[in-house]
Amino acid sequence: MWYEIFKFEIQYRIKRPDTYVFFLFIFLFSIVGVDFIFQGSEMGLLKRNSPIVIAKTMGAITGFFMILASMIMGVSVLRDFEYEIESLLFSTPIKKRDYLIGRFLGAFTVLLFVFTGIILGMMLGEFMPWISSDEQLAFNAFVYIKTFLMVTLPTLFFGAALFFVTGALTRNLIVVYTQGVILFVVFLLTKAITNDFWQAIFDPFSLTTTSYISKSWSVLEKSTQELPFIDALLYNKLFWVVLGVIALIYGYKKFNFNLVKEKKSRRKQVQKLITISASVNSDIEIPKAKKQYGLQSKWTQLKEFSWFYFISICKQPSFWGIVICGMIIILVNSVNLGTVYGVDSYPTTYFIVEELRETSYFFFIIILVFYSGELVWKERGAKLDLIYDATPMSSFVRLAGKFIGLNFIYVVLILALISTGILFQTLSGYYNYEFQVYFNGFFLEILPVLSIFTCLAFFIQSLVNNKFVGIILLIVFSIVNVAIAVLGFDHDLHFFGGSSLGAYSDMNGYGHFLQPYLLIKLYWFLFGILLLIIGALISVRGNETNLIKRIRAAKYKFSKPLIKFTGIILFAFIIIGGFIFYNTNILNEYWSNSEATEFRVAYEKELKQFEYITQPKIVDVNLQLELYPSKRDYTVEGYYMLKNTSSEDIKSIHIQKLLEENVTIDSISFEGSFTTNNQYKKFDYSIFNLKNALQPGDSVKMYFKQSFRTKGFEQGRSNTNIVYNGTFFNNEQFPTLGYNKKYELQDEDERRDYSLSKRSTKAKIDNPKELVNARSGGDSDGIHFEMIIGTSKDQTALVPGDLLKEWTANNRNYFHYKTTTPIINFYAIVSADYEIKKEKWMTSSEGITEPVDLEIYYQRGHEYNIDRMMKSMKASLNYYSNNFSRYQYQQLRITEFPRYATFAQSFPGTIPFSESIGFVLDIDDKKDVDMAFYVTAHEVAHQWFAMQVEAANVKGQLMVLETLSQYAAIMVLKQHYSEEKVQQFLALQMDKYKEGIQQESKEEPSLALVENQNYVYYAKGAISMYELQKRIGEENVNKALKRFLEDWNTTNGKLKMQTDRYATTQDLLGYFREVTPVSLQYIVTELFEKVKPIELDL
Amino acid sequence: MELIIDNLSKTYANGVKALQNISLDIPTGMFGLLGPNGAGKSTLMRTIATLQEADQGSIKLGDIDVLQQKNELRQVLGYLPQQFGLYPKISAEVLLNHFAVLKGVINKNERQELVKALLHKTNLYEVRKQNLKGFSGGMKQRFGIAQALVNNPKLLIVDEPTAGLDPVERNRFYNLLSELGEKTVVILSTHIVDDVKELCTNMAIINQGQVCLKGKPLEILESLKGKVYQKTIEKSELNVYKENFQVISERLFLGKPTIHIVCDTNPGEGFTAINAELEDVYFSEIFNVANTKSI
Repeated sequence: MWYEIFKFEIQYRIKRPDTYVFFLFIFLFSIVGVDFIFQGSEMGLLKRNSPIVIAKTMGAITGFFMILASMIMGVSVLRDFEYEIESLLFSTPIKKRDYLIGRFLGAFTVLLFVFTGIILGMMLGEFMPWISSDEQLAFNAFVYIKTFLMVTLPTLFFGAALFFVTGALTRNLIVVYTQGVILFVVFLLTKAITNDFWQAIFDPFSLTTTSYISKSWSVLEKSTQELPFIDALLYNKLFWVVLGVIALIYGYKKFNFNLVKEKKSRRKQVQKLITISASVNSDIEIPKAKKQYGLQSKWTQLKEFSWFYFISICKQPSFWGIVICGMIIILVNSVNLGTVYGVDSYPTTYFIVEELRETSYFFFIIILVFYSGELVWKERGAKLDLIYDATPMSSFVRLAGKFIGLNFIYVVLILALISTGILFQTLSGYYNYEFQVYFNGFFLEILPVLSIFTCLAFFIQSLVNNKFVGIILLIVFSIVNVAIAVLGFDHDLHFFGGSSLGAYSDMNGYGHFLQPYLLIKLYWFLFGILLLIIGALISVRGNETNLIKRIRAAKYKFSKPLIKFTGIILFAFIIIGGFIFYNTNILNEYWSNSEATEFRVAYEKELKQFEYITQPKIVDVNLQLELYPSKRDYTVEGYYMLKNTSSEDIKSIHIQKLLEENVTIDSISFEGSFTTNNQYKKFDYSIFNLKNALQPGDSVKMYFKQSFRTKGFEQGRSNTNIVYNGTFFNNEQFPTLGYNKKYELQDEDERRDYSLSKRSTKAKIDNPKELVNARSGGDSDGIHFEMIIGTSKDQTALVPGDLLKEWTANNRNYFHYKTTTPIINFYAIVSADYEIKKEKWMTSSEGITEPVDLEIYYQRGHEYNIDRMMKSMKASLNYYSNNFSRYQYQQLRITEFPRYATFAQSFPGTIPFSESIGFVLDIDDKKDVDMAFYVTAHEVAHQWFAMQVEAANVKGQLMVLETLSQYAAIMVLKQHYSEEKVQQFLALQMDKYKEGIQQESKEEPSLALVENQNYVYYAKGAISMYELQKRIGEENVNKALKRFLEDWNTTNGKLKMQTDRYATTQDLLGYFREVTPVSLQYIVTELFEKVKPIELDL
Repeated sequence: MELIIDNLSKTYANGVKALQNISLDIPTGMFGLLGPNGAGKSTLMRTIATLQEADQGSIKLGDIDVLQQKNELRQVLGYLPQQFGLYPKISAEVLLNHFAVLKGVINKNERQELVKALLHKTNLYEVRKQNLKGFSGGMKQRFGIAQALVNNPKLLIVDEPTAGLDPVERNRFYNLLSELGEKTVVILSTHIVDDVKELCTNMAIINQGQVCLKGKPLEILESLKGKVYQKTIEKSELNVYKENFQVISERLFLGKPTIHIVCDTNPGEGFTAINAELEDVYFSEIFNVANTKSI
């Protein structure tokens, strides 16, 4: 008997299109499954089709598509109730056993068929043309099948059992939809389990299980070794299979053929007796009410409907189920906020908002997708549609009412999230609730996108006559929309919904991002309304479901007021779209990805010939800079003094303007006569031929005037250097000499496509051309710097040098700076409305004591760690000047800049420090390392290692600059904090190093020959240097560094003065070897010249 | 073979007493169960059809204890519910076949013959390959009776079968039912008095969960013989008459209300004696029970 039911189920589903649609969906997704799940970054040296990668991908895809499993299995029994055939079926002599087994097996078979799409898709994915053969092992179908059986099948079984049982017992379609979501929530919850082993067991999709099993495998093993079906993986699968069996047994016991589900109610309601009479009461008159149809009535109907639909969603228990799941996830995840270097930040409102947004986004999407379908189908579901459709109600008003009702739901949810945020802040003892930020963070940043996509969802549901298909189409569209943008076609005029708003900064608020963002959202919102109108016109009304007929009937539905309304919206849409286009494409240039790439290729092909031609060096910079933060403009004029430090005559000077559209060079001229060669004008590269060649040792002045003008707004992320408050840029804005390597294409595959040679990031350590450069395209060996800078009345501007004079003129602030000692030709220009903390520190050497001004420029409200930074500045200056050399400037400034970038950087005497990596850290002295202190110490160390001594632009450069700064900072940390804290810090570095190794796709270099691998020169470097000083003694290391500085100081180093080249790691290691006893010499080799895995002795 | 219902009671969770101590003896042949909406007919039908539990009492069909031996009963049961649907994208032939298998007709050849015959009988043979989605109300009902008969049932329950059928369909339906042999217990529940009048050899009137009256229609009519009177009156007089007489029905005739009353003696005053109709019996029973309805 069960066989008959089983056969029937299969035959029924074979005929249904959604069986094939689901299969196709999974199949197509699986083709690019590996790329999607891993998104390039985490694979490193792993092969694309190694068994582990396959296992993880299959597990993840299964997880994503659990919702399909719930739809396939859940409807199995439910269908008999939906079609109201249950009373015919259940009164036949079939046994419960046969019925349930038949239905379950039938549905499960179909489920398996649909999910074989994973195997086929992934297998096909191996042969896709965009994959290179060295990313993959040889094709082996057996691995796929085996992994499917091991990984996916048990999970599918569990899902199938669970969904089948809930569908059969609750007989409620909404529960069927939402159970897929709930399982996903459970999965997210398991991520919060801290014990690795138990997490591996409870992970329903076995993703962490796979990681757990392979965690001690080498990279090679991970690439090739098959996953053994033992231990955690076996237990995991057993666990879930057993759970599935339990679900089936429970379901079997609880299920019965009773039609009427009787709920036991405690309260016995008393029967009331009323009298009815047989005849019609002819005494009652039915009053006549006025019926109105004008605009006023439409408005009233709209309000009535919006409220009605809003309440109807609120009454659904499944809605609250989703909300509760969301709350749980948020609470579980909300513990880490704005964590940087392992330290949490204060729960400032923008952090909370960002955190809440990120975690709740998924749930908003679920609610949008499901409830838009539910609302559009509400009347048809209750079989009320014919009654509704025969009323004189406008289709548009009805659809608009549903739309507004759903938006009310979003608003309610947002208010709940905001309350949660405020609660969390209060519980953490932080009371600065910035309601404006809360409001903007949600109502500006999330609600518009949700509304716009809701319009789309309603449109699709109205168009398509099937709720499931509508949901799938909506999801497919969104994925395609994102995919197209990722491929480079991301212009906001056709990226549906527009892009997100930039980050919020306490310094700059939303800055200049806000206006274009609002315009684009308005543009899309108008489009959304047009979609709603079209949707209403072609929606199913009455019994006619054929699309063509509906489209034809639409013209009768298009009433006069609606036509007027549509006209207005369309007009506004076009005007705004035109204005946006004018700004993004006409006032500013919009380059597609391919255009930009081709430009770069042409640049390299035509100009690389000039990379190493002899050019003069800049020795003097004297400029007047007028900064206009509120307009985001600046003008600069003045001169460079160029000196010929080579031994040959220089006949022409090559000048490269910054390749940015907003920057124009208004004029360039030279002392004496010269002619201009504009052959390469399209690259903004000009060659100036001097009438009188510049002799060796001679100098010539170069006058120039440059301006930066912001016009309208740009597409995409416009620059964040020059903003309303928090301007921060460096001298790379100004004209540079000669070819600039940074414009070359970096991606190896792309370079091959355009037949460009391989590009190494750092030249070999003995490359003579680069040994004489301290940075790529080095224009200078040190400059004297003087600048007068003007900015708006409420801001302070800072550049290197002593502040000679400060005044106001024309309602603007002016500052005159001048350096007393030479600085490197790499300086920062900063301007903002700052609070200032000033202290003095006394430097003493050779008996002379001089004061150094210590200044911290920060945003009002960010006082939390100012004292720590100040303390660190003093401690670092003390240590470095005592152990290395005298501090060379008369001021040391820390300046805060907005969190658009998250780094701190050292310039001569100036340390710009990002808002988000030190100023709002909530440092718990018991459990955290004082990172504000540490980062300050590291940056101050750069005044020695980068300003005093520069390293040649070859392999190993960054060890000299960064690793030594890490060493210096750790020593300061050691002096002021406990050994425990130092070890904690080193442990953090170890984690970073391990992370870096995982993501490394090439070979790890040694420290001495490091290129751009920051996990080596920062993390491994810190540990290695600490180890060195432990073995040979801190004083010895310091002695070596002191000598190194004496010899290689750029302005007066004993060895530096006798050569053109800069220092390398070879030189540095020599100094280390000098202070190392013979028996320990091997340590220097092992730590710095070999690539050995490092150990931490705790 | 008899269906014996003994003291059957059922109270729903919301307090409604759907069945109160119902006792009926139903022999083979057509049995009519008459009662207004909400009387408890469907509850009773579902309980006998093994799809609902009762609080107390018993139901026996011959040796089968219906409440305890559900599966045995289902083997000989045919049930046509008041409201049902069908799978839309399946043809009548395929679904009828499916039900035949579910009901135990395993042998393929026998089944094919059976299905063919039933389709002919219910006049669905021409459309047997058509999808059930496109069936009209009458066709659906015919299919319903076909599936109910597919296992040659000993107990056939039809719950309000002719509601919504046009007169031609209704006649067709009656003809089909009346052909059923003497060996089947057929319970026909309805609120259409004519159905019972035309078909049933036995009947009961049920109201508010209780049996008001049971017996053979002819005998029941006897009880009211000579007691029913008719008069045409003015609309304004209606209330007065209602207070003074036992009015069991009122109808309009040429714009004026005509009332039927029950009276042991001739009331005179323009009343004419008429032959009692089954409808009169029905109405008098319904409104006799103190004119109260429980909620």
